[in-house]
Parts: sequence; C-alpha cells; structure tokens
Amino acid sequence: MVTMKFLPDMYVNRCIACKGCEAACKTQNKTPENIRRIRVVTFNKGEPNETNIPMPCLHCTDPPCLHVCPVNVIYKREDGVVLLNKEGCIGCGYCLFACPFGAPQFEQLGAFGTKGKMDKCTFCVEPYEQRDNQGKLIKREPKPRCSLFCAAETLLAGDVKAISEKMRQRQGSTIFRSGGAAKTFLTF
Amino acid sequence: MGGYSRFSELRFSRRSFLKASAAATAGVLLGGYVTRDSSARLFEPVNAQEAESGTKLIKTICIFCAVGCGVKARVENGVLTGLEPWDENPINGGRMCCKGASIPSSVVNDRRLKSPMIKEGGKWRKVSWDGALTAIAKKMKDIREKYGPDAVFFAGSAHVTNEAAYLQRKFMAFWGSNNIDHQARICHSTTVAGLGNTWGYGAQTNNFNDMRHARCILFLSNPAEAHPVSFRHIYAAKRRGAILITADPRYSRTAAQSDLWLPMRSGTDIPLILGMANWILTNNWHDEEFINQRTNGFKYVKKVVEQYPPETAAEITGVSAEKIKEAARLMAQNQPSTIQYAMGATQHEVGTNNIRSFAILQLLLGNAGQVGGGVNAFRGHDNVQGATDLAVLANTLPSYYGLSDGAWKHWSKVWGVDYNWMVSRFASKDFMNKKGFTMSRWRDGVLAELELGQPSPIKMAFLWGHSTPSQAGMAIVKKAYETLEMLVIVDPYVENAAALADKEDGIVLLPASTTWESDGTVTASPRQVQWRNKVLDPLYDSKPDVIILLELAEKLAEVDDPGWKDFGKNYSKIPEDIYDKEIRVGARAIGMRQSTWRLKRQQEYDFAFDTETLRATGGPVHGEYWGLPWPCWNDEHPGTPILYRNDVPVADGGHDFRARWGTEAPDGTSLLSAIGGHPELNPDGTPGPGWKLDLTTEYRRLIAANKVPYGRGRARFWAWNLPDPVPVHREPLWTPRPDLAGKYPAYEDKVYGVHFRVKTKARSIQEAFINTRLYEKYPLIWTSGRQVEHQGGGSMTRSNPILSELQPEMYVEIHPRDAHDRGIRDGDMVWVSSPRGTEYGLTIAKAYVKARVTRGIRQGTVFMPFHWGGVFQGESYVRRYPKDTAPLVVGESANIIAPPGWDATTQMQTTKSGMCEVSKERPAE
Ligand code: SF4
Ligand code: SF4
Ligand code: SF4
Repeated sequence: MVTMKFLPDMYVNRCIACKGCEAACKTQNKTPENIRRIRVVTFNKGEPNETNIPMPCLHCTDPPCLHVCPVNVIYKREDGVVLLNKEGCIGCGYCLFACPFGAPQFEQLGAFGTKGKMDKCTFCVEPYEQRDNQGKLIKREPKPRCSLFCAAETLLAGDVKAISEKMRQRQGSTIFRSGGAAKTFLTF
Repeated sequence: MGGYSRFSELRFSRRSFLKASAAATAGVLLGGYVTRDSSARLFEPVNAQEAESGTKLIKTICIFCAVGCGVKARVENGVLTGLEPWDENPINGGRMCCKGASIPSSVVNDRRLKSPMIKEGGKWRKVSWDGALTAIAKKMKDIREKYGPDAVFFAGSAHVTNEAAYLQRKFMAFWGSNNIDHQARICHSTTVAGLGNTWGYGAQTNNFNDMRHARCILFLSNPAEAHPVSFRHIYAAKRRGAILITADPRYSRTAAQSDLWLPMRSGTDIPLILGMANWILTNNWHDEEFINQRTNGFKYVKKVVEQYPPETAAEITGVSAEKIKEAARLMAQNQPSTIQYAMGATQHEVGTNNIRSFAILQLLLGNAGQVGGGVNAFRGHDNVQGATDLAVLANTLPSYYGLSDGAWKHWSKVWGVDYNWMVSRFASKDFMNKKGFTMSRWRDGVLAELELGQPSPIKMAFLWGHSTPSQAGMAIVKKAYETLEMLVIVDPYVENAAALADKEDGIVLLPASTTWESDGTVTASPRQVQWRNKVLDPLYDSKPDVIILLELAEKLAEVDDPGWKDFGKNYSKIPEDIYDKEIRVGARAIGMRQSTWRLKRQQEYDFAFDTETLRATGGPVHGEYWGLPWPCWNDEHPGTPILYRNDVPVADGGHDFRARWGTEAPDGTSLLSAIGGHPELNPDGTPGPGWKLDLTTEYRRLIAANKVPYGRGRARFWAWNLPDPVPVHREPLWTPRPDLAGKYPAYEDKVYGVHFRVKTKARSIQEAFINTRLYEKYPLIWTSGRQVEHQGGGSMTRSNPILSELQPEMYVEIHPRDAHDRGIRDGDMVWVSSPRGTEYGLTIAKAYVKARVTRGIRQGTVFMPFHWGGVFQGESYVRRYPKDTAPLVVGESANIIAPPGWDATTQMQTTKSGMCEVSKERPAE
C-alpha cells in the first residue's frame, strides 16, 4: 500500500523561492493564467526569520474538499491522490471554503471573471481532459514535476514511507557530520 | 543501475505499467514508482515515456544561466511538449529554477520575431533573408568607404554557443576592427583582470559541486536568486556543518539562509575584506607555509592590510567590527572556506580591485588551489564563460592571446589566412593592436562629444544577442541608437533597442533561433563544456547564429572583399568542425582542447560521473571530469575541475599558478613556485612560449614529466602592473560619504586618459558630485540586481507567459524609514531619479516604478531589478515594437539611474553603487 504526500523540508534544504516548482507545474500541466496549483508563500519577508514554503494541494487523508462537494465530483484514489471529475464540477467554490490550504483554483472565465470549474494539483497523474486526441484515456505515473525539478531539493513527494526515510537520512547525516551537536538544525 | 537496488522488486516494467494503467479506472492506479535512496529524488526519472511512439527525450542544456543545468526536452512528433528531469547530469541532478523549468514557453512563443524586418519611414516592413543580408552587407561596405572599418561596432553575445561566439570574434577580425564586445565587459570583465592578474587565469577556480566540500562560504552575491540550482550543493555543504555568511546591502534570499549577514554599504567590498584580512593577520591565522612557497609580494599586502583594522573597516562599510571579526574567524577556523561572488562585486569602478581582494584573502588563508576552497566567481549567462574565452571582446583575440602581432599571426595561421591580408583589413596596423570600444562606452563612440581614440565616430552597430536594459545610462544609449545610420539587431525576440530608439529609418531585425534550435557547445561557469543537443528545427523562419554569420560573410565576399570566402572554408560539419578544427587547435593559452566527440560521449555516460567529485568511474569515460574543464590538454587529459592544485599530477587535472610574468618580480623576488617551480615551456621542455604557439603539440612529453606547459609560478599579492598594485579602498564616484572621499579618493583622471577608445574620468566626476553637494539632493544609495524569474534585458523571459505571470513587475525596494520619511507607502508609484545624463545635456535620469517597502534592505539604500524595458522615464514605448512582438510585461529600465563610473583596468560599468532620490512627485528638471 502506498500513500502519496508532499513534504517541504523546513530544516536544511529550505525553500529559496526560485519558483522552479511553479514553472515546472505550468510547463507540465499547461494550466491557464491564474491557475496556481502550487504556490510558494513567504513569511517575514526581509526579517531575520524569513521563510518560504511551497504550498501545493496536500492530498489530505480525510479531505474536507471531498466531503463538502455538493455534486460529489471529488474523489480519492487508492494511492491517496485526490482528484476531481471536472466534467461534473459546477464551479460553486465550496471546496475552496473547506480546504484549509487554499489549494482549489478557479479559472477566470468570461467578461466578469466569474468562476470556472475547479482545478487543483493532480500529483501529475493526469491532465483533466482525460482523453487524448484518439479518445484514449490518459494516465500517467504519479511523478510531480514540482518536486522532481525543485532546485533546493526542498519539496519531497512520494510515498509517505519514502519521504520519512529521506528526512531521516538528511537529519541523520546532519547529526552525524556535526558530531552530535545539533547546531546546524535551526540557524536562527 | 545500483541506486535502485533496495526497492527494485517493486518496479513495474513500462509494459506492465501501461497494462495496469489501461486497466485502471479513474479511481484506481498502481504506481510504477520506486525510491532511490542515494539522492533526494524520490522517483526514478520519467524515461518510461520515451517508449510511447513518436516521443523523444533529448538531453540538452538550459539556455539561461551559467550553472549549466541539464534537462531532457520532451519532443512528441516534432513538437516540444515539455521537460523531464535529466537526473544523471551531475551539475544539477535534474533540478531547475523557474527559468529552466519553463523553457518550452520561451522557445515556442508567438511573440518571437517571425521574419527579417526593416524599419523605413517609421514603418516596419517584412523582408526576405536575402534582402536583409544584402542590405546589411552593402551598408557595411558603404561605411567602410566613407568612414573606415572602425565606424562599425559589434555587440556580440554570451547567449550564443561557443561556435557562434567564436565566429563573432572572427567576423570582426575579418572585417578589420577591434570594435567588438559583449556582456562579459559589463558582467565579469573585472574577474578576468582581477583573478588573472593574481594567479594567471580569470575564471571560477572551483565549481558548484565542489562547494559541497567547503566548511565555510562567504557570499558576496545572491545565488539563491541568481543561480538557484547552485543551492543544491550549498545545502549539501550546510548539511555537513558548513557556515554560510552573506555580505550584501540587502537581506537577500541568500542572506535569509545564512548564519551571518554583513549588511555592508554598496561599494565597500575592499575595506570589508581587508578588515577581515587584518584580523586574520592579527591572530596569526594566515597560512605561512603556503604564502612562502606559492605566493609573491606578501610584504606589500601586509603593509596595506595594517591600515584596515576591523574598526576602520567598520567605519567605512557600516558593518560592525564584531561582525567583521566573527566573519574572519569563521573563514579562518572552518577551512577549507570559499568565497562566492557575482555582479555585486564586479560592477564598480574598483571592480578589478574588489576581485583581487577576494583572491588575496584566499591566498592568505591558503584556500587557493584547494578542494572546497578557491574563489567561486558565479557567471551570469549560459555561455558567458565560453564567450569570454573565445573573446567576443575589444581587448583580445580568442583564448586571451591579446592583440599583439604575435596574437594576430597565431590566429591568422589557425584561420588559414595570410597575415598581411589581415593587416590590410584594418584602418592601419596600429588599430589592429589597439583595444576597441567596449560595451560600456560604445555609445560615446557614436555621440562623439568626448575625445575619441579613432578618427571616425561609430556609424553602424550590431546588437547580436545583447540587451539594452543591461547597459548603464540608458538615456545616453537611446540617443546613440537614434544617431546611428544603421542598427542591426539579431535576436529570437525583438530586443528593446528596436522600440526604444525613436527613429524612423535604419533598423534591421534578423530572427535568430534560440540555442535549442541548433547543436553546439556551451561552457558553464566552472569552465565545464557541455554539448547542447538541438531539440527542434529552427522555428518561424529563424536561423541559428552560426548560419547567419556564415551567410553574411558570403554576402560580404561579394560586396566587400573576396577574402571573406575564407571565413567558413574549414567547416564542412557544423558545429563540430568549428570547435575541433579551429577552437581546439588555436585556443591553447587556456588549454581549451576538448574534442566534441568526448563531450558527446560524456553525455552518453552521464551516469558514471560522481556528484561529489565530478569524476567518472569506469566505462570509456573513466577518470574524466564532467565537462572536461579547461585546461584540458589533450584527448587523454581528464580536464581540470579545480584550478591551481599542485598536489595532483598534471595528468590527473593538477597544475599550478601560472608563471605569466616571467621568473622574477621587479623587486628581484622569485616568481616560480618553491615546489618544483619552472617557467613556461616549449613542447620539447625548454623554457619558452612554444606551448601556446605550436599548433600541433599534444603536450604528452611535458605531462609525462609532470610539467605544466604554462609553468609553475607564484600567485601575486603584488600586481605591479595595475593602478593599485594592492587593492585599497576608494570611495564610489557618487558617494554618500564625502567625508571619506578625501582620504579614499577615486582614481585621478590621468589613470584613464583615452581609455579603450574614449576619454574617461573619475576623480573630477567625484569632486563635482561632492562640490555641488549632489549627495544632499540624491541622498539614497542606489544598487541593482536580479529577479529569479528574469534574465538579462528580459526580452525573452518577459515574453514568456509563465515567467511574466510569476513576476509581472518592476519595482524599487526601499526601507520603511526612507519610504515613510518621504510619504511613500508600499505599492505607491514613485519616481527614482539621479543626475545621470546631465553631462550630455540630457534631463536628469528618472524611472517611474512601484515602491516595495521592505526591511530587507539597509536603511539608506534602494534596490532595483535591471531586467526591464518598454517604459522610458514614465512613458511606454510599446507602440514602437513591430506588431505583436512586444513583451507581455514591461517596466522601466533600472540602469538609467547608474552613475558614470568605469573600472580603470577593464572599463566595467558601475551599476552597483550609485546615488538617487525617490519621490512621489515627478522630479523637476
Ligand atoms: S484541495 Fe485542500 S482539502 Fe482537498 S485534498 Fe487538497 S489540500 Fe486537502
Ligand atoms: S522549486 Fe523548491 S526551492 Fe524552488 S521555490 Fe519551489 S520548493 Fe522552493
Ligand atoms: S537558469 Fe540557471 S539555475 Fe535556472 S535552470 Fe537554468 S541553468 Fe539552472
């Protein structure tokens, strides 16, 4: 059993806000302007504890967006990836109410910029237009380009077990190298 | 491959994966992923998709910065549809910043120039390639007849391949003028002079991967934003306990990840470093053995350093003495330590000295020529190292041979042309040996209001892959464009100049392909040469730079001189022949002797290279270093990843400081290393310059004897040939501290004289600024820099829908104290102004931009990114672009504000330490 998650490393490999993740997502998924499936947020800009965090959809284990959707188009796959069936979406925006992370996006359509259908991170498993030009269903492996391209190796993505393993290795190596002194853990 | 072992039983083959997914309904999917525990990557690279019919994954190199990141371009049935990580490229391990990760939108883009165009009678008109090239060739001929060959200026490019850069230089040699230059002049020319004058070669000594081994890193730039993927290695160092220190007037993204921030005043790098050096000497932390054995002139440095105790340095730089002492201690007690820098240090009147001071600090600490040490100059454009090596420059021929008769004879031989014919191309033999106009002053050559070093002003100019916003004093540049008889712009996009110039006639635009539309080599900052595969055929009727140069030469053979027929005669296979038959044969002074077949082979065996050392284990590439960094003496040599290591044999990538100034300094001390020192050698082992002049030697005899062809010399603390043999502080021309300018004045005007080809001044400008008390009218320090989303003048990145969405804005960063004192709030539109341009009778320089109020900058300093264009002093000039070619986002060009300062050695422009005022009201003229 695998469970897909994202995790930004907040210790040594901290995000430098290069936005490689945002651009990689747009290049891969060809999302329209204003759709930001992943976004880097910065806290305390210019202050000693300035911090950047990449924020995609976190593919919640118990997703509030799924529970509130009035037309039940949001679903969760066995591997944990939360997706939606775009055709049935009515664009009410209730999922955005429910999501703690601001992940659901709405394309601005029409003269008044009214809500389009919901769009969000798919873990790169599929374009929402699920058929190719021969009408075949398009399926891809869950390989999020944001994480694969992340310049600072901040954004980890994959099976939770693998993420946990990676973080143990990273922090283990830090402790090992500094002879047990945790000095380099937090630099501020 | 080994890395996957532990989970390989979980792996699905591509075929079974496809079956699984075909069977899967929308809700169920079994992943074909594995983990790979030896790197941060949690997935294997997405090679699997190559199996899909019609899809190709092509290994290639980023087109933006000199980190040199590799990537696989996904091409489906001839269409570039996306990117996949090139996991095995040892430089970036598949990682990319936003510029790299959005390249498809930069390459395939509707705003590109779609055919050659000519502006006539105020209208843009499409023309054929043949028509455009004929018009250019005829005009050149006409200019030669009327004014002589020096009336043409050629701005070449660091964004083209090595082959194209090399041909640009050769083109101007065949034309008969040294008026050729490019971005390197205004980016790292002071690195070349500063490092070259210290230890022989003016390039990044170590490399990005090597920074993993540093235990302390002093940043003098902002690589988190300017060279993001380098952070992959910097964080590896940090994980191992390395201390990071940032010296920057801004609390940059790099500072935010550092352990110590030194908020220095712009233009005070030298006192900061000398203050640290002082504390190092006071505490006896310097490496005496290293100094005695491998350097020359310590006593001169000691005398200067004694004048800069940390307290004095603190008074000048604005950084507390405690912080300076702490930084010195950290650098000395966590060795190997390295210094990293970029434009923040190079772009000053004292740029060469700034860089010399870094080298001096590393020599004192014995950090030079060490793993994890050295001076890591991070270069900007993807191929700026290559374009510098191949001399798209006014002061040298390729490979730093200079402009002496010997240099011309050497290259004439490589080109297979008669030296006397070459002489006949020039206005006179004098002009052959005389440095040309540079990127920073060529506008003065057009305007001709100052004393010039040539009879005719410049009447025609090429901007071949060079931007306008990066040039200081934009208002003057604009006037120069308008004065030219013809301006030829060669670029994939319409460069700013085409629209900035308010000009009815005489602009020709040629659509060049991007570097993903042809094969070629590209040199990353650490001298690593990588093969950049062609991804697509040229789009939109564009042509690769190399082809345009060759075709223009053919036209010139018809209208100008039949000698042009020899221009491309050695190349039947392009670009390989250009590299292998000429560059590799002639560029001996830096040992740029990699063969293209080796570069291609490295790409194939990328997986054999180690990220920590960049060395390959096993396979046909066994023992080679990635990119065969120069000097790479012959086809068996592995390349030299770290300069000046004398602890490894020459055959293994070792060598020594270059014995470039003879065997003895003017004071009689030795310039040869105490460890096996010897002068430069002929191929047969006798002393002499034969190593760089012989066109056939493969250096086998010297290498077998562990001799370095260019000698085993000493690094120079004391560079007697420079205006300041040891760096000392000099206040910026426009200084906020008139009290210090008396003690630390700018260079006297006579140090410059007619510099390159134009009368240049410094002291009198500084005195005028102080005497007219302009520091009261323009009290804020002005500096400029990068945004991660954009590159150079931005004509490509600002046309990219992804990047312009990520960063749509030009702004000025200002401290709340300075802003609120002026009634400015975050988000207000404000005027930034300076007295630049008044020396030409122009109005004061001004820019209308958004205020970004932030504590992340020193009080009293403002910062502007320099990638912007499309707006000039509050007025948009987008209407002057040919239809549908203007960038998606526009803004004011920051460098209009820059002061009139130039480095005394290289004529680098000063774009990092000016003065300005910021106001809500439009400033009065
Ligand atoms: S959209 Fe929000 S609530 Fe729904 S899975 Fe993603 S993070 Fe969770
Ligand atoms: S790619 Fe990585 S480092 Fe860059 S912004 Fe995204 S999470 Fe941050
Ligand atoms: S711009 Fe530089 S850091 Fe970014 S992907 Fe390209 S080479 Fe790498």
